[in-house]
Amino acid sequence: MNGLIKLELARALRNRKFLFFSVIYPSALFLLIAGNADSTAKLPGTGLTLPTYMMVSMASFGALTAVLMGNSERIAKERESGWVRQLRLTTLPGRGYVLAKTASAAVVSLPSIVVVFVVAALVKDVRMESWQWLALTGAIWAGSLVFAALGVAIGYLASGDAVRPITMITYFGLSMLGGLWMPTTTFPGWLQSIAKWMPTHAYAGLGRAIEQSQAPHMGDIANLAVFFVLFAGGAAWLYRKDTLKA
Amino acid sequence: MRAGQHGGMTTTASVVAFDQVSKAFGDVRAVDGLSLTLHPGETVALLGPNGAGKSTTLDLLLGLKQPDTGTVRVLGTTPREAIVAGRVGAMLQTGGLMDEVTVAELVALACSLHPKPYKASDVLARAGIAQIADRKVNKLSGGQAQRVRFALATAGDSDLIVLDEPTTGMDVTTRQAFWATMREQADQGRTVLFATHYLEEADAIADRVLVLHRGRLLADGTAAEIKARAGARRVSFDLDGTPDESALGALPFLTSLDVSGQTVRLQSADADATVHALYGIGLYPRNLEVTGLGLEQAFVAITTAEEAKQK
Repeated sequence: MNGLIKLELARALRNRKFLFFSVIYPSALFLLIAGNADSTAKLPGTGLTLPTYMMVSMASFGALTAVLMGNSERIAKERESGWVRQLRLTTLPGRGYVLAKTASAAVVSLPSIVVVFVVAALVKDVRMESWQWLALTGAIWAGSLVFAALGVAIGYLASGDAVRPITMITYFGLSMLGGLWMPTTTFPGWLQSIAKWMPTHAYAGLGRAIEQSQAPHMGDIANLAVFFVLFAGGAAWLYRKDTLKA
Repeated sequence: MRAGQHGGMTTTASVVAFDQVSKAFGDVRAVDGLSLTLHPGETVALLGPNGAGKSTTLDLLLGLKQPDTGTVRVLGTTPREAIVAGRVGAMLQTGGLMDEVTVAELVALACSLHPKPYKASDVLARAGIAQIADRKVNKLSGGQAQRVRFALATAGDSDLIVLDEPTTGMDVTTRQAFWATMREQADQGRTVLFATHYLEEADAIADRVLVLHRGRLLADGTAAEIKARAGARRVSFDLDGTPDESALGALPFLTSLDVSGQTVRLQSADADATVHALYGIGLYPRNLEVTGLGLEQAFVAITTAEEAKQK
Protein backbone atom coordinates (compact mmCIF):
# COMPACT_ATOMS: atom_id res chain seq x y z
CA MET A 1 0.00 0.00 0.00
CA ASN A 2 2.96 2.33 0.60
CA GLY A 3 3.65 2.13 -3.11
CA LEU A 4 0.18 3.41 -3.87
CA ILE A 5 0.42 6.22 -1.29
CA LYS A 6 3.73 7.34 -2.76
CA LEU A 7 2.38 7.31 -6.29
CA GLU A 8 -0.81 9.13 -5.29
CA LEU A 9 1.34 11.74 -3.61
CA ALA A 10 3.70 12.15 -6.55
CA ARG A 11 0.68 12.62 -8.75
CA ALA A 12 -0.94 15.18 -6.46
CA LEU A 13 2.29 17.19 -6.25
CA ARG A 14 2.54 17.18 -10.05
CA ASN A 15 -0.96 18.50 -10.51
CA ARG A 16 -0.48 22.28 -10.60
CA LYS A 17 -4.14 23.16 -10.61
CA PHE A 18 -4.76 21.06 -7.52
CA LEU A 19 -1.72 22.50 -5.76
CA PHE A 20 -2.74 26.03 -6.62
CA PHE A 21 -6.23 25.63 -5.20
CA SER A 22 -5.19 23.80 -2.06
CA VAL A 23 -1.86 25.49 -1.23
CA ILE A 24 -1.67 28.96 -2.83
CA TYR A 25 -5.31 29.94 -3.06
CA PRO A 26 -6.09 29.97 0.71
CA SER A 27 -3.07 32.21 1.38
CA ALA A 28 -4.03 34.51 -1.46
CA LEU A 29 -7.55 34.72 -0.10
CA PHE A 30 -6.15 35.46 3.35
CA LEU A 31 -4.18 38.41 2.01
CA LEU A 32 -7.21 39.62 0.08
CA ILE A 33 -9.46 39.62 3.15
CA ALA A 34 -6.99 40.50 5.91
CA GLY A 35 -4.42 42.38 3.84
CA ASN A 36 -5.59 45.88 4.75
CA ALA A 37 -6.97 44.97 8.15
CA ASP A 38 -5.62 46.47 11.33
CA SER A 39 -3.25 44.02 13.03
CA THR A 40 -4.00 45.30 16.53
CA ALA A 41 -7.74 46.05 16.73
CA LYS A 42 -9.70 43.15 18.22
CA LEU A 43 -12.82 41.71 16.64
CA PRO A 44 -15.74 42.14 19.03
CA GLY A 45 -16.55 39.09 21.12
CA THR A 46 -13.47 37.08 20.14
CA GLY A 47 -10.48 38.84 21.60
CA LEU A 48 -8.72 38.14 18.31
CA THR A 49 -7.52 40.50 15.59
CA LEU A 50 -9.00 40.06 12.12
CA PRO A 51 -5.74 38.60 10.69
CA THR A 52 -5.54 36.08 13.54
CA TYR A 53 -9.19 35.19 13.11
CA MET A 54 -8.91 34.81 9.33
CA MET A 55 -5.67 32.85 9.57
CA VAL A 56 -7.51 29.94 11.17
CA SER A 57 -10.39 30.29 8.72
CA MET A 58 -8.09 30.12 5.71
CA ALA A 59 -5.89 27.35 7.06
CA SER A 60 -9.05 25.31 7.69
CA PHE A 61 -10.33 26.26 4.25
CA GLY A 62 -7.07 25.13 2.61
CA ALA A 63 -7.09 21.79 4.39
CA LEU A 64 -10.75 21.32 3.50
CA THR A 65 -9.98 22.02 -0.16
CA ALA A 66 -7.11 19.54 -0.27
CA VAL A 67 -8.92 16.61 1.31
CA LEU A 68 -12.41 17.15 -0.11
CA MET A 69 -11.43 17.85 -3.71
CA GLY A 70 -8.55 15.38 -3.59
CA ASN A 71 -10.86 12.53 -2.70
CA SER A 72 -14.24 13.10 -4.30
CA GLU A 73 -13.45 13.82 -7.93
CA ARG A 74 -10.58 11.36 -8.17
CA ILE A 75 -12.53 8.49 -6.67
CA ALA A 76 -15.57 9.11 -8.86
CA LYS A 77 -13.39 9.34 -11.96
CA GLU A 78 -11.38 6.25 -11.17
CA ARG A 79 -14.46 4.26 -10.34
CA GLU A 80 -15.77 5.10 -13.76
CA SER A 81 -12.54 4.45 -15.64
CA GLY A 82 -12.24 1.00 -14.08
CA TRP A 83 -9.00 1.67 -12.21
CA VAL A 84 -10.74 0.77 -8.96
CA ARG A 85 -11.71 -2.58 -10.51
CA GLN A 86 -8.19 -3.18 -11.73
CA LEU A 87 -6.86 -2.52 -8.22
CA ARG A 88 -9.24 -5.12 -6.88
CA LEU A 89 -7.26 -7.67 -8.89
CA THR A 90 -4.17 -6.93 -6.81
CA THR A 91 -3.24 -7.87 -3.26
CA LEU A 92 -4.24 -4.38 -2.10
CA PRO A 93 -6.95 -4.75 0.56
CA GLY A 94 -10.30 -3.15 -0.32
CA ARG A 95 -9.84 -0.25 2.10
CA GLY A 96 -6.29 0.32 0.88
CA TYR A 97 -7.39 2.45 -2.03
CA VAL A 98 -9.44 4.82 0.14
CA LEU A 99 -6.73 4.98 2.79
CA ALA A 100 -4.06 5.77 0.21
CA LYS A 101 -6.20 8.54 -1.26
CA THR A 102 -6.86 10.04 2.16
CA ALA A 103 -3.24 9.74 3.24
CA SER A 104 -1.96 11.51 0.14
CA ALA A 105 -4.62 14.24 0.50
CA ALA A 106 -3.52 14.70 4.11
CA VAL A 107 0.08 15.16 3.04
CA VAL A 108 -0.97 17.91 0.63
CA SER A 109 -3.21 19.57 3.23
CA LEU A 110 -0.28 20.07 5.61
CA PRO A 111 1.57 22.61 3.42
CA SER A 112 -1.71 24.40 2.73
CA ILE A 113 -2.08 24.96 6.50
CA VAL A 114 1.56 25.92 7.06
CA VAL A 115 1.72 28.33 4.12
CA VAL A 116 -1.23 30.30 5.50
CA PHE A 117 0.51 30.48 8.91
CA VAL A 118 3.78 31.65 7.41
CA VAL A 119 2.08 34.33 5.32
CA ALA A 120 0.04 35.49 8.33
CA ALA A 121 3.10 35.68 10.56
CA LEU A 122 5.33 37.41 8.01
CA VAL A 123 2.89 39.78 6.37
CA LYS A 124 0.35 40.47 9.12
CA ASP A 125 2.55 40.02 12.19
CA VAL A 126 0.39 37.33 13.76
CA ARG A 127 2.23 36.22 16.90
CA MET A 128 1.51 33.24 19.14
CA GLU A 129 3.32 30.94 21.56
CA SER A 130 5.12 28.05 19.87
CA TRP A 131 2.80 25.48 21.53
CA GLN A 132 -0.10 27.34 19.95
CA TRP A 133 1.37 27.11 16.45
CA LEU A 134 1.95 23.37 16.92
CA ALA A 135 -1.45 22.70 18.48
CA LEU A 136 -3.13 24.74 15.75
CA THR A 137 -1.40 22.78 12.99
CA GLY A 138 -2.26 19.49 14.65
CA ALA A 139 -5.91 20.38 15.31
CA ILE A 140 -6.59 21.66 11.81
CA TRP A 141 -4.77 18.77 10.25
CA ALA A 142 -6.57 16.14 12.33
CA GLY A 143 -9.93 17.86 11.86
CA SER A 144 -9.55 17.67 8.09
CA LEU A 145 -10.11 13.90 8.36
CA VAL A 146 -13.82 14.62 8.80
CA PHE A 147 -13.90 16.21 5.36
CA ALA A 148 -11.67 13.56 3.84
CA ALA A 149 -14.37 11.04 4.80
CA LEU A 150 -16.98 13.30 3.22
CA GLY A 151 -14.88 13.41 0.04
CA VAL A 152 -14.76 9.62 -0.08
CA ALA A 153 -18.53 9.43 0.41
CA ILE A 154 -19.16 11.88 -2.45
CA GLY A 155 -16.69 9.99 -4.64
CA TYR A 156 -18.68 6.79 -4.18
CA LEU A 157 -22.07 8.51 -4.36
CA ALA A 158 -21.78 10.57 -7.51
CA SER A 159 -20.39 9.71 -10.88
CA GLY A 160 -19.61 11.30 -14.20
CA ASP A 161 -20.77 14.85 -14.70
CA ALA A 162 -22.55 15.01 -11.35
CA VAL A 163 -19.49 14.75 -9.12
CA ARG A 164 -18.04 18.18 -9.82
CA PRO A 165 -21.19 20.23 -9.13
CA ILE A 166 -21.98 18.15 -6.03
CA THR A 167 -18.45 18.64 -4.74
CA MET A 168 -18.54 22.36 -5.50
CA ILE A 169 -21.92 22.95 -3.84
CA THR A 170 -20.81 21.02 -0.77
CA TYR A 171 -17.47 22.78 -0.71
CA PHE A 172 -18.78 26.33 -1.07
CA GLY A 173 -21.75 25.61 1.18
CA LEU A 174 -19.55 24.29 3.95
CA SER A 175 -16.98 27.08 3.58
CA MET A 176 -19.46 29.90 3.48
CA LEU A 177 -22.04 28.68 6.02
CA GLY A 178 -19.34 27.54 8.40
CA GLY A 179 -17.91 31.05 8.45
CA LEU A 180 -14.57 30.25 6.85
CA TRP A 181 -14.80 33.21 4.50
CA MET A 182 -16.39 35.76 6.82
CA PRO A 183 -17.25 35.62 10.51
CA THR A 184 -20.72 34.13 11.08
CA THR A 185 -21.42 37.06 13.41
CA THR A 186 -21.97 39.14 10.24
CA PHE A 187 -24.79 36.75 9.16
CA PRO A 188 -28.48 37.51 9.75
CA GLY A 189 -29.89 35.73 12.82
CA TRP A 190 -31.65 32.87 11.00
CA LEU A 191 -28.49 32.04 9.06
CA GLN A 192 -26.40 32.14 12.21
CA SER A 193 -28.60 29.49 13.78
CA ILE A 194 -27.94 27.23 10.77
CA ALA A 195 -24.25 28.10 10.62
CA LYS A 196 -23.51 27.07 14.17
CA TRP A 197 -24.38 23.44 13.34
CA MET A 198 -22.03 23.24 10.36
CA PRO A 199 -19.02 20.96 10.81
CA THR A 200 -16.84 23.66 9.28
CA HIS A 201 -18.00 26.05 12.03
CA ALA A 202 -16.87 23.59 14.67
CA TYR A 203 -13.69 22.96 12.70
CA ALA A 204 -12.66 26.62 12.70
CA GLY A 205 -13.83 26.79 16.34
CA LEU A 206 -11.13 24.26 17.29
CA GLY A 207 -8.43 26.54 15.94
CA ARG A 208 -9.89 29.70 17.42
CA ALA A 209 -10.04 28.18 20.90
CA ILE A 210 -6.33 27.43 20.63
CA GLU A 211 -5.64 30.99 19.49
CA GLN A 212 -7.53 32.22 22.57
CA SER A 213 -5.30 29.95 24.69
CA GLN A 214 -8.31 27.79 25.59
CA ALA A 215 -8.96 24.10 25.30
CA PRO A 216 -11.18 23.30 22.27
CA HIS A 217 -14.87 23.47 23.18
CA MET A 218 -16.55 20.15 23.85
CA GLY A 219 -19.45 21.20 21.63
CA ASP A 220 -17.12 21.61 18.64
CA ILE A 221 -15.41 18.29 19.27
CA ALA A 222 -18.77 16.51 19.65
CA ASN A 223 -20.06 18.14 16.47
CA LEU A 224 -17.00 17.03 14.49
CA ALA A 225 -17.15 13.54 15.97
CA VAL A 226 -20.80 13.13 14.99
CA PHE A 227 -20.14 14.36 11.45
CA PHE A 228 -17.10 12.11 11.16
CA VAL A 229 -19.15 9.04 12.13
CA LEU A 230 -21.86 10.13 9.70
CA PHE A 231 -19.51 10.76 6.77
CA ALA A 232 -17.28 7.74 7.38
CA GLY A 233 -20.31 5.49 7.89
CA GLY A 234 -21.87 6.80 4.68
CA ALA A 235 -18.60 6.33 2.82
CA ALA A 236 -18.25 2.75 4.07
CA TRP A 237 -21.82 1.94 3.12
CA LEU A 238 -21.48 3.45 -0.37
CA TYR A 239 -18.13 1.74 -0.84
CA ARG A 240 -19.62 -1.65 -0.03
CA LYS A 241 -22.55 -1.02 -2.36
CA ASP A 242 -20.19 -0.08 -5.16
CA THR A 243 -18.03 -3.15 -4.58
CA LEU A 244 -21.00 -5.49 -4.85
CA LYS A 245 -22.12 -3.81 -8.05
CA ALA A 246 -18.81 -3.56 -9.86
CA MET B 1 -19.47 -27.62 -1.57
CA ARG B 2 -15.88 -27.04 -0.59
CA ALA B 3 -13.19 -28.28 -2.92
CA GLY B 4 -11.51 -30.19 -0.12
CA GLN B 5 -14.56 -32.40 0.29
CA HIS B 6 -14.12 -33.77 -3.22
CA GLY B 7 -10.81 -35.04 -2.04
CA GLY B 8 -9.85 -36.37 -5.47
CA MET B 9 -7.05 -35.54 -7.87
CA THR B 10 -9.28 -33.48 -10.11
CA THR B 11 -9.89 -30.67 -7.62
CA THR B 12 -6.29 -30.29 -6.55
CA ALA B 13 -5.14 -30.33 -10.16
CA SER B 14 -7.71 -27.87 -11.45
CA VAL B 15 -6.72 -24.25 -11.86
CA VAL B 16 -10.26 -23.00 -12.28
CA ALA B 17 -13.40 -24.90 -11.35
CA PHE B 18 -16.92 -23.59 -11.98
CA ASP B 19 -19.61 -25.81 -10.54
CA GLN B 20 -23.16 -25.08 -11.73
CA VAL B 21 -22.57 -21.34 -11.60
CA SER B 22 -25.43 -18.95 -12.39
CA LYS B 23 -25.58 -15.18 -12.35
CA ALA B 24 -28.57 -13.10 -13.36
CA PHE B 25 -29.01 -9.36 -13.77
CA GLY B 26 -32.72 -8.70 -13.46
CA ASP B 27 -34.34 -11.03 -15.97
CA VAL B 28 -31.17 -11.63 -17.93
CA ARG B 29 -29.34 -14.82 -17.07
CA ALA B 30 -25.82 -13.74 -17.95
CA VAL B 31 -24.33 -17.04 -16.81
CA ASP B 32 -26.61 -20.03 -16.67
CA GLY B 33 -25.58 -23.22 -14.89
CA LEU B 34 -21.99 -23.05 -16.10
CA SER B 35 -19.60 -25.83 -15.16
CA LEU B 36 -16.06 -25.93 -16.42
CA THR B 37 -12.58 -26.93 -15.33
CA LEU B 38 -9.25 -25.54 -16.48
CA HIS B 39 -6.11 -27.62 -16.04
CA PRO B 40 -2.55 -26.44 -15.38
CA GLY B 41 -0.63 -25.29 -18.43
CA GLU B 42 -3.60 -24.97 -20.74
CA THR B 43 -4.07 -21.99 -23.01
CA VAL B 44 -7.80 -21.58 -23.27
CA ALA B 45 -9.84 -19.24 -25.43
CA LEU B 46 -13.25 -18.14 -24.24
CA LEU B 47 -15.22 -17.44 -27.34
CA GLY B 48 -18.65 -16.00 -27.78
CA PRO B 49 -20.65 -13.20 -29.36
CA ASN B 50 -21.33 -9.99 -27.44
CA GLY B 51 -23.67 -10.69 -24.57
CA ALA B 52 -22.68 -14.36 -24.41
CA GLY B 53 -21.58 -13.93 -20.81
CA LYS B 54 -17.80 -13.85 -21.33
CA SER B 55 -17.12 -10.79 -19.20
CA THR B 56 -19.48 -11.94 -16.45
CA THR B 57 -17.74 -15.33 -16.44
CA LEU B 58 -14.35 -13.64 -16.01
CA ASP B 59 -15.74 -11.32 -13.31
CA LEU B 60 -17.02 -14.36 -11.40
CA LEU B 61 -13.68 -16.08 -11.87
CA LEU B 62 -11.85 -13.05 -10.47
CA GLY B 63 -14.24 -12.54 -7.57
CA LEU B 64 -15.42 -9.17 -8.88
CA LYS B 65 -18.93 -10.58 -8.91
CA GLN B 66 -20.47 -13.21 -6.68
CA PRO B 67 -22.48 -16.06 -8.23
CA ASP B 68 -26.20 -16.30 -7.38
CA THR B 69 -25.84 -20.08 -7.17
CA GLY B 70 -22.98 -22.53 -7.63
CA THR B 71 -19.34 -22.24 -6.64
CA VAL B 72 -16.23 -20.82 -8.23
CA ARG B 73 -12.86 -22.15 -7.08
CA VAL B 74 -9.52 -20.83 -8.27
CA LEU B 75 -6.40 -22.86 -7.50
CA GLY B 76 -8.29 -24.72 -4.80
CA THR B 77 -9.46 -21.62 -2.98
CA THR B 78 -11.72 -18.60 -3.40
CA PRO B 79 -10.92 -16.14 -6.20
CA ARG B 80 -10.04 -13.37 -3.73
CA GLU B 81 -7.66 -15.61 -1.74
CA ALA B 82 -5.97 -16.74 -4.95
CA ILE B 83 -5.48 -13.10 -5.96
CA VAL B 84 -4.16 -12.08 -2.53
CA ALA B 85 -1.67 -14.96 -2.74
CA GLY B 86 -0.45 -13.45 -6.01
CA ARG B 87 -1.41 -16.53 -8.00
CA VAL B 88 -3.62 -14.75 -10.52
CA GLY B 89 -2.70 -11.96 -12.91
CA ALA B 90 -5.55 -10.37 -14.76
CA MET B 91 -6.25 -7.77 -17.38
CA LEU B 92 -9.77 -6.44 -17.72
CA GLN B 93 -11.35 -5.07 -20.84
CA THR B 94 -12.71 -2.24 -18.73
CA GLY B 95 -9.62 -1.94 -16.54
CA GLY B 96 -8.88 1.74 -16.30
CA LEU B 97 -5.41 3.01 -15.54
CA MET B 98 -4.24 5.60 -13.07
CA ASP B 99 -3.97 8.98 -14.79
CA GLU B 100 -1.09 11.44 -14.68
CA VAL B 101 1.58 8.92 -13.77
CA THR B 102 4.17 7.42 -16.09
CA VAL B 103 4.05 3.91 -17.48
CA ALA B 104 7.16 3.00 -15.47
CA GLU B 105 5.62 4.28 -12.23
CA LEU B 106 2.43 2.34 -12.77
CA VAL B 107 4.27 -0.89 -13.56
CA ALA B 108 6.50 -0.37 -10.50
CA LEU B 109 3.32 -0.03 -8.43
CA ALA B 110 1.95 -3.31 -9.82
CA CYS B 111 5.26 -5.00 -8.97
CA SER B 112 5.21 -3.59 -5.44
CA LEU B 113 1.70 -4.97 -4.92
CA HIS B 114 2.64 -8.50 -6.09
CA PRO B 115 3.90 -11.00 -3.49
CA LYS B 116 6.24 -12.63 -6.03
CA PRO B 117 7.17 -9.67 -8.21
CA TYR B 118 9.47 -9.53 -11.21
CA LYS B 119 11.82 -6.63 -11.73
CA ALA B 120 9.86 -3.70 -13.14
CA SER B 121 12.39 -3.22 -15.94
CA ASP B 122 11.90 -6.85 -17.00
CA VAL B 123 8.12 -6.50 -16.95
CA LEU B 124 8.34 -3.38 -19.12
CA ALA B 125 10.67 -5.08 -21.58
CA ARG B 126 8.58 -8.24 -21.81
CA ALA B 127 5.38 -6.30 -22.46
CA GLY B 128 7.21 -4.32 -25.15
CA ILE B 129 6.68 -0.95 -23.47
CA ALA B 130 10.23 -0.16 -22.32
CA GLN B 131 10.51 2.58 -24.95
CA ILE B 132 7.37 4.34 -23.70
CA ALA B 133 8.20 3.90 -20.00
CA ASP B 134 8.48 7.65 -19.39
CA ARG B 135 5.25 8.52 -21.12
CA LYS B 136 2.17 9.56 -19.12
CA VAL B 137 -0.44 6.84 -18.96
CA ASN B 138 -3.21 9.15 -20.18
CA LYS B 139 -1.23 9.96 -23.37
CA LEU B 140 -1.16 6.41 -24.74
CA SER B 141 -2.82 4.95 -27.82
CA GLY B 142 -5.38 2.18 -27.34
CA GLY B 143 -2.89 -0.53 -28.25
CA GLN B 144 -0.20 0.88 -25.95
CA ALA B 145 -2.66 1.06 -23.08
CA GLN B 146 -3.51 -2.61 -23.67
CA ARG B 147 0.19 -3.47 -23.37
CA VAL B 148 0.39 -1.54 -20.11
CA ARG B 149 -2.60 -3.53 -18.82
CA PHE B 150 -0.82 -6.68 -19.89
CA ALA B 151 2.26 -5.56 -17.97
CA LEU B 152 0.10 -5.08 -14.85
CA ALA B 153 -1.27 -8.61 -15.28
CA THR B 154 2.23 -10.08 -15.59
CA ALA B 155 4.02 -8.04 -12.91
CA GLY B 156 4.80 -11.16 -10.89
CA ASP B 157 5.06 -14.91 -11.02
CA SER B 158 1.37 -15.89 -11.18
CA ASP B 159 0.02 -19.36 -12.00
CA LEU B 160 -3.00 -18.16 -13.91
CA ILE B 161 -3.23 -15.27 -16.36
CA VAL B 162 -6.68 -14.02 -17.29
CA LEU B 163 -7.10 -11.63 -20.21
CA ASP B 164 -10.36 -10.10 -21.37
CA GLU B 165 -10.18 -9.20 -25.08
CA PRO B 166 -6.50 -8.32 -24.77
CA THR B 167 -5.79 -7.26 -28.34
CA THR B 168 -8.65 -4.78 -28.71
CA GLY B 169 -7.29 -1.60 -30.25
CA MET B 170 -4.07 -3.15 -31.52
CA ASP B 171 -3.08 -3.20 -35.18
CA VAL B 172 -2.13 -6.45 -36.90
CA THR B 173 1.63 -6.20 -36.29
CA THR B 174 1.28 -5.28 -32.64
CA ARG B 175 -1.27 -8.01 -32.19
CA GLN B 176 1.10 -10.64 -33.52
CA ALA B 177 3.94 -9.37 -31.32
CA PHE B 178 1.55 -9.41 -28.39
CA TRP B 179 0.56 -13.00 -28.93
CA ALA B 180 4.20 -14.02 -29.17
CA THR B 181 4.65 -12.50 -25.69
CA MET B 182 1.53 -14.29 -24.52
CA ARG B 183 2.82 -17.61 -25.81
CA GLU B 184 6.01 -17.15 -23.78
CA GLN B 185 3.82 -16.93 -20.69
CA ALA B 186 2.09 -20.16 -21.64
CA ASP B 187 5.40 -21.88 -22.42
CA GLN B 188 6.55 -21.21 -18.86
CA GLY B 189 3.81 -23.55 -17.72
CA ARG B 190 1.22 -20.97 -16.81
CA THR B 191 -2.44 -21.43 -17.41
CA VAL B 192 -3.75 -18.73 -19.70
CA LEU B 193 -7.40 -17.93 -20.19
CA PHE B 194 -8.39 -15.26 -22.66
CA ALA B 195 -11.69 -14.00 -23.97
CA THR B 196 -11.63 -12.85 -27.54
CA HIS B 197 -13.77 -12.04 -30.51
CA TYR B 198 -10.81 -12.35 -32.86
CA LEU B 199 -11.65 -15.92 -33.72
CA GLU B 200 -8.52 -16.55 -35.73
CA GLU B 201 -6.57 -15.86 -32.55
CA ALA B 202 -8.40 -18.55 -30.66
CA ASP B 203 -7.68 -20.83 -33.60
CA ALA B 204 -3.99 -19.99 -33.75
CA ILE B 205 -3.14 -19.74 -30.05
CA ALA B 206 -5.44 -21.77 -27.83
CA ASP B 207 -5.05 -25.48 -27.07
CA ARG B 208 -8.64 -25.46 -26.03
CA VAL B 209 -11.63 -23.38 -27.05
CA LEU B 210 -14.71 -22.84 -24.94
CA VAL B 211 -17.69 -21.54 -26.86
CA LEU B 212 -20.06 -19.58 -24.67
CA HIS B 213 -23.55 -18.67 -25.80
CA ARG B 214 -26.28 -17.13 -23.66
CA GLY B 215 -24.33 -17.92 -20.53
CA ARG B 216 -23.98 -21.60 -21.29
CA LEU B 217 -21.10 -23.69 -22.55
CA LEU B 218 -21.91 -24.66 -26.11
CA ALA B 219 -18.71 -26.39 -27.10
CA ASP B 220 -15.49 -27.36 -25.38
CA GLY B 221 -12.63 -28.82 -27.37
CA THR B 222 -9.67 -28.09 -29.57
CA ALA B 223 -10.17 -25.58 -32.36
CA ALA B 224 -10.02 -28.50 -34.82
CA GLU B 225 -12.76 -30.38 -32.98
CA ILE B 226 -14.98 -27.35 -32.96
CA LYS B 227 -14.50 -26.86 -36.65
CA ALA B 228 -15.29 -30.52 -37.22
CA ARG B 229 -18.56 -30.11 -35.30
CA ALA B 230 -19.79 -27.59 -37.81
CA GLY B 231 -18.87 -29.36 -41.05
CA ALA B 232 -15.23 -29.25 -41.69
CA ARG B 233 -14.45 -28.10 -45.23
CA ARG B 234 -15.64 -25.80 -47.89
CA VAL B 235 -15.58 -26.93 -51.53
CA SER B 236 -16.15 -24.62 -54.47
CA PHE B 237 -15.99 -25.19 -58.22
CA ASP B 238 -17.49 -24.12 -61.54
CA LEU B 239 -19.46 -26.39 -63.90
CA ASP B 240 -20.03 -26.18 -67.66
CA GLY B 241 -23.73 -25.68 -68.25
CA THR B 242 -26.41 -25.31 -65.60
CA PRO B 243 -25.72 -27.34 -62.45
CA ASP B 244 -28.29 -29.97 -61.58
CA GLU B 245 -29.15 -29.06 -57.99
CA SER B 246 -30.92 -32.29 -57.11
CA ALA B 247 -27.94 -34.36 -58.27
CA LEU B 248 -25.58 -32.14 -56.27
CA GLY B 249 -27.86 -32.27 -53.27
CA ALA B 250 -27.54 -36.06 -53.21
CA LEU B 251 -23.74 -35.92 -52.75
CA PRO B 252 -22.50 -37.70 -49.61
CA PHE B 253 -21.37 -35.83 -46.42
CA LEU B 254 -22.90 -32.61 -47.66
CA THR B 255 -23.77 -30.09 -44.92
CA SER B 256 -24.71 -27.10 -47.08
CA LEU B 257 -25.13 -26.29 -50.76
CA ASP B 258 -25.21 -22.98 -52.59
CA VAL B 259 -25.51 -22.70 -56.36
CA SER B 260 -25.20 -19.36 -58.12
CA GLY B 261 -24.97 -19.38 -61.90
CA GLN B 262 -22.35 -21.94 -62.83
CA THR B 263 -20.57 -21.67 -59.50
CA VAL B 264 -21.22 -24.21 -56.78
CA ARG B 265 -20.19 -23.72 -53.14
CA LEU B 266 -20.73 -26.47 -50.64
CA GLN B 267 -19.60 -27.56 -47.21
CA SER B 268 -18.76 -31.14 -46.45
CA ALA B 269 -17.94 -33.17 -43.37
CA ASP B 270 -15.71 -35.35 -45.57
CA ALA B 271 -14.48 -33.32 -48.54
CA ASP B 272 -12.51 -36.20 -50.09
CA ALA B 273 -15.57 -38.42 -50.33
CA THR B 274 -17.75 -35.61 -51.60
CA VAL B 275 -15.32 -34.69 -54.40
CA HIS B 276 -14.84 -38.33 -55.32
CA ALA B 277 -18.61 -38.72 -55.65
CA LEU B 278 -18.70 -35.57 -57.78
CA TYR B 279 -16.56 -37.25 -60.43
CA GLY B 280 -18.60 -40.42 -59.91
CA ILE B 281 -21.82 -38.80 -61.17
CA GLY B 282 -20.01 -37.69 -64.32
CA LEU B 283 -19.40 -34.04 -63.51
CA TYR B 284 -16.16 -32.28 -64.31
CA PRO B 285 -15.54 -29.48 -61.78
CA ARG B 286 -13.31 -26.61 -62.90
CA ASN B 287 -11.34 -24.27 -60.58
CA LEU B 288 -11.86 -26.78 -57.79
CA GLU B 289 -10.96 -25.39 -54.38
CA VAL B 290 -11.11 -27.21 -51.06
CA THR B 291 -10.49 -25.00 -48.05
CA GLY B 292 -10.63 -25.52 -44.32
CA LEU B 293 -13.50 -23.86 -42.55
CA GLY B 294 -12.23 -21.10 -40.28
CA LEU B 295 -13.19 -21.21 -36.67
CA GLU B 296 -15.37 -18.20 -37.30
CA GLN B 297 -17.69 -20.08 -39.66
CA ALA B 298 -17.63 -23.06 -37.34
CA PHE B 299 -18.60 -20.80 -34.49
CA VAL B 300 -21.42 -19.18 -36.46
CA ALA B 301 -22.67 -22.62 -37.48
CA ILE B 302 -22.70 -23.88 -33.89
CA THR B 303 -24.47 -20.85 -32.46
CA THR B 304 -27.01 -20.76 -35.31
CA ALA B 305 -27.78 -24.44 -34.80
CA GLU B 306 -28.22 -23.80 -31.07
CA GLU B 307 -30.58 -20.90 -31.68
CA ALA B 308 -32.62 -22.97 -34.14
CA LYS B 309 -32.90 -25.71 -31.53
CA GLN B 310 -34.25 -23.31 -28.96
CA LYS B 311 -37.00 -21.95 -31.22
